[in-house]
Amino acid sequence: MSVSSLAFPACWNCGAPPGGGHFCVGCGKIQPLDPASGYFAFFGLPEKLNLDAADLDRRYLALSWKLHPDNFVRAEEFERNLSLDRSSVLNDAYRVLRDPVSRAEYLLARHGVRKEGQTKQQAPPELLEEVFELNESLEELRAARRSGDAAESVALARSLETAGRNFQAKLGEVDSELAGAFGEWDAALDRSAGEDDRARLMARMNEILNRRSYIRNLVAGVTQELGEAPGE
Amino acid sequence: MAYSEKVIDHYNNPRNVGSMPKEDPKVGTGMVGAPECGDVMRLQIRVNPETQVIEDAKFKTFGCGSAIASSSLATEWVKGRTVEDALSIKNTDIVRELALPPVKIHCSVLAEDAIKAAIGDWKRKQGAEESQASAAAAPAED
Repeated sequence: MSVSSLAFPACWNCGAPPGGGHFCVGCGKIQPLDPASGYFAFFGLPEKLNLDAADLDRRYLALSWKLHPDNFVRAEEFERNLSLDRSSVLNDAYRVLRDPVSRAEYLLARHGVRKEGQTKQQAPPELLEEVFELNESLEELRAARRSGDAAESVALARSLETAGRNFQAKLGEVDSELAGAFGEWDAALDRSAGEDDRARLMARMNEILNRRSYIRNLVAGVTQELGEAPGE
Repeated sequence: MAYSEKVIDHYNNPRNVGSMPKEDPKVGTGMVGAPECGDVMRLQIRVNPETQVIEDAKFKTFGCGSAIASSSLATEWVKGRTVEDALSIKNTDIVRELALPPVKIHCSVLAEDAIKAAIGDWKRKQGAEESQASAAAAPAED
């Protein structure tokens, strides 16, 4: 039994158990949304991280049609609002789940492992040193390029491109590590692994995602610098 | 969301940007990061071994305006204080001084962590020196 069917034991229209879906299984009326049920459940999916993008697209389109406020123009205001609520959650859920990184961040946030902004995240000192040095070399390249002559500028653009390729390669490494962790997470769900196992996997994914955000910033820095390149 | 005037001032005219030699026994280096936004902050202090007063402080931060302002302010505040006194600087003081909005509070936390990390590094160096000195059975210095 899903969380939402527990939260709303009776359909507002017919009084029967609504079944936990978007619409009552008895009378077919749209149901209020339990915010605790989450984005995966919204699409009728388990909380797995390897997700078939085409399947998600199909589910999204089908639900867009069914939940669209146009279908409720003649309904009571209450039902219209339910359709608006569900349609807006549908769009948020689709946007978050479509991207593997935001999908994983969402899963970790949902389980309290990752919090935006105010909760401090730990980063290993070697990583900080490395990121700091990479940022410094990027900054030096930038500064040299601002003051340099045209010929020098070309050479610096090349070194920037090399730096960009290095960061991109690092990003690739992190992403394949993340993909590996996704596989382990899904396998853990399949064998109904215990809390400890899952907590350990989530902590590791959190660590990978932290590293990833540093490297992504570096890649973005190089891309921006090359984009702003004078006389290219 | 607009930055406060004080944040903009520190961002445009950051105080004490730079570095000090990491190997110097009088220098403590704190390197901290906020992975969720990709910020890295390095704060260094130079301590007078006689008086325990922080005589100079430098920082370098790769991050948003609030992170830069928080670390710039932190270097201003630690200068002239004793090590123990500098440890009492709280992130909430930084939040108040810079009028940081709730979403930027973690930047001030980072600056507080950087101060603590720099002092911790300096203290470690002092401990290492003392044990070296006693191992060599050198006469105690004043």
